[in-house]
Amino acid sequence: MARSFDVVVVGSGPGGYVGAIRAAQLGLSVAAVEDDRPGGVCLNWGCIPTKALLRNAEVVHLVEHAERFGIKVDNVRADYAEAIKRSRGVADRMAKGVEFLFRKNKITLFPGTGALKSKTTVEVQGASGTETLEGRAIILATGSQPRSLPGVTIDEKTVISSNGAVRNEARPASLVVIGAGAVGMEFADVYAAYGTKVTVLEALDRVLPVEDPESSALVARLFGRRGITIKTGVKVSAVRAGGPGAVVETGEGRIEAEQVLMAVGRGARTEGIGLEGLGIELERGFVKVSPTMETSVKGVYSIGDMAGAPLLAHKAMAEGVVAAEAIAGRSPRPLDYSNVPSCTYCRPQVASIGLSEARARDNGREVTIGKFPFTASGKAVALGDTDGFVKVIADKASGEILGVHIVGPEATEIIHEFAVGRTLEATVEEIVHTIHAHPTLSEAALEATLAALGQAIHM
Amino acid sequence: MAVSRVVMPKLSEQMETGKIIKWLKQEGERVQSGDILAEVETDKADVEMEAFGSGVLRKVLIAAGGQVPVGTLIGVIAEPDDDITAVVSEAGGGAPVAAAPAAAPAAPADRPAAVPPQPRGEDHAARTPAPAAGPTAPARPAAVGTAAAAPPAPPPEEAGRVKASPLARKIAAQSGVDLRLVQGSGPGGRVVRRDVEAVSTGAARPAAVAAVAAGEEFEDRPLSQMRAAIARRMPLSKAPVPHFYVSSEVAMDRGWALREELNGLEGQPKISVNDLVVRACALALRQHPGVNASFQGEAIRVFHRAHIGIAVALEDGLITPVLRDADAKSLAQIATEARDLAERARQRKLRATEMSGATFSISNLGMFDVTDFSAIINPPEGAILAVGTVRRIPVVTDTGVGVGRRMVLTLSCDHRVMDGAMGARFLQDVKQLIEEPLRLLV
Repeated sequence: MARSFDVVVVGSGPGGYVGAIRAAQLGLSVAAVEDDRPGGVCLNWGCIPTKALLRNAEVVHLVEHAERFGIKVDNVRADYAEAIKRSRGVADRMAKGVEFLFRKNKITLFPGTGALKSKTTVEVQGASGTETLEGRAIILATGSQPRSLPGVTIDEKTVISSNGAVRNEARPASLVVIGAGAVGMEFADVYAAYGTKVTVLEALDRVLPVEDPESSALVARLFGRRGITIKTGVKVSAVRAGGPGAVVETGEGRIEAEQVLMAVGRGARTEGIGLEGLGIELERGFVKVSPTMETSVKGVYSIGDMAGAPLLAHKAMAEGVVAAEAIAGRSPRPLDYSNVPSCTYCRPQVASIGLSEARARDNGREVTIGKFPFTASGKAVALGDTDGFVKVIADKASGEILGVHIVGPEATEIIHEFAVGRTLEATVEEIVHTIHAHPTLSEAALEATLAALGQAIHM
Repeated sequence: MAVSRVVMPKLSEQMETGKIIKWLKQEGERVQSGDILAEVETDKADVEMEAFGSGVLRKVLIAAGGQVPVGTLIGVIAEPDDDITAVVSEAGGGAPVAAAPAAAPAAPADRPAAVPPQPRGEDHAARTPAPAAGPTAPARPAAVGTAAAAPPAPPPEEAGRVKASPLARKIAAQSGVDLRLVQGSGPGGRVVRRDVEAVSTGAARPAAVAAVAAGEEFEDRPLSQMRAAIARRMPLSKAPVPHFYVSSEVAMDRGWALREELNGLEGQPKISVNDLVVRACALALRQHPGVNASFQGEAIRVFHRAHIGIAVALEDGLITPVLRDADAKSLAQIATEARDLAERARQRKLRATEMSGATFSISNLGMFDVTDFSAIINPPEGAILAVGTVRRIPVVTDTGVGVGRRMVLTLSCDHRVMDGAMGARFLQDVKQLIEEPLRLLV
């Protein structure tokens, strides 16, 4: 006997659970299907637990450098297993939060794996059997999973992905990280803080390749200073067992380490959920969607990682809202994909929005650049955290904020001033006319914008 | 007792200025909160304005006929012994305002009759748009003198409040686009960058509000709010929207017969030819979502519901009330609702929500014996159907020549949204639905 709902959401990661809650807010009856815990990778195995680990790494760093603040600390012992335990506790708490929000919004959770049987039917294979759900509309939000290199199997023991890294209480003495994107750099930071000898390999010519080259260069330099080896432009040809655990063959010789962390990206989870049967179209491995997140099959929506880049939780959440509102008959404003902030939470933090300097120039615009280092920020000096800068790229004629790149303390918070500004189509003048509290790190945003106008005060 | 300021209310989303048609309370008269103070003409409808305070209408600052921006102080309600000089002087010195023309004794001969009253606000936002600040304005009407202490008059493009993003303002200034001519696609009709860019590639001229003149050879009639709105909106369609047109002749014999049969039934609403067209379009839009669509700069918005605007001619313009979810309504429902909307449109009694949100429009000039015509798309809609009269003409039949009823439909399409074949297929389906009219009943 099928149970009927207005909306069936398959997957309850950040896209799915936000979409489910928004749909419920709009008066729709909602079922959510989840094969893990509510909250998906983000809350359980990704964003949230890694932020807990990074905070541990930061505390380790602070304690080790407490003498700079005139504080003597002896016998420091940082237990990595305890860091993982704390991280699990944080993730548990957040997942429980989603369960609470589901109850509050009267969303029925169906544990199990969901697959489309028709454009209105989802079959859930759960521990206690099979259940059939009917939905006037379906939202697919099955997310993504770590990818590997051809011929390399992730066993989560020697060759691990973020899934293993976030669970393993044992820390290797040495680690090769393959891929210097956000995931690779964040784990490199955590492991190095606890004493692992970390080597980061990147096929492209710089770390954090999606960021502005200036951001990449500074992060690489600061990581290097902390004893993390960074090798860019390196092609990995094979990973095999040997040495202390694994041997990584590269064009520039072999590297041995106890473990290898595969961080070469994530692929959409589109298999086994019945896409083929309905003829739902894919595009380069991702589900093809309309601006209101509808797939090629009417009434079936797809959001989040499975629906295409950027693979970011906050983009998935925003898409969940759009899909829910479209289903409820609203006319949601489609996402502006050019205005999604990108954040990496390693130390120093890296955040950006809009175009890189090179891209802005490629567009044929005459641009003006303003840059302000945190060394000139009173607040950053007081914090003892002065590595980094704010860089503002603006259109010379109109003052449009084309792109902003921040490296340094709380970069991932400061970026939102520019996100709001760009959403409102503010120009550099509106930022400059906004009074920024003193002393704050956000003043660097003001100063960098002033610098773009040639008017920086504190530089 | 508190002194209540009476300001020009914002009566619709797009409303920027309002004109006082008449005051229903006179200076010195006692008013209760909720009493109707005045009738106000907006660009869409005439609306009654309520009092939000009780007391005596101590001062009328804008006389009947005066047109002012939303938010402008137009009157003061207070108790007889309250001191209202501060409030009144805030409005620009408190000089009593006569009806507009009389306030311009020294006006030159070429601009006498209907100069709207001068703004009395101290800030730019409270000033009336363009009228008196015409580009040449050699001799300002005397009333300006009372505002001598105020900052210099803003240039026309700054006058009046236009909701626009800072970036849109800058680009507009750089490309010479008058923001008041731009229809905003942002939240709440806010003008954003893409709107300005869309217009700047088209022909956007400043909305020079012509000096009102008169003489033996001609007279200039001031624009009604509605005529001004039409004048502002239509170039926004015709210039930037690349129109193309497809026409088709529809055999109306069966539709006519069906309509007569339906109208012979007791207790059924009378069905007009236009109702048949509305119903046919609604059904066809469901099959052709690409026509039920709007160009959004970086995307084409395809609507899932068919809200059909039905143009209604008024004495001094036209208005397009919206029949919502037309595709989900029966012919009888459409007939009843369309008649109600048209009647209230003529009485100017439509609510703001009934005047916006159409995804497609229909304009019918059949009652004027127009054979065929083409209509201008009402942005941001993607298409509009122009309906001609039903004529009896000789038609070729299998056996020779007979008499048939025919009607010409012309679809105007936004080429950015659709192509000829798409428009033609839609029209073909509309034609088929009307020619096989039983389809309209199921």
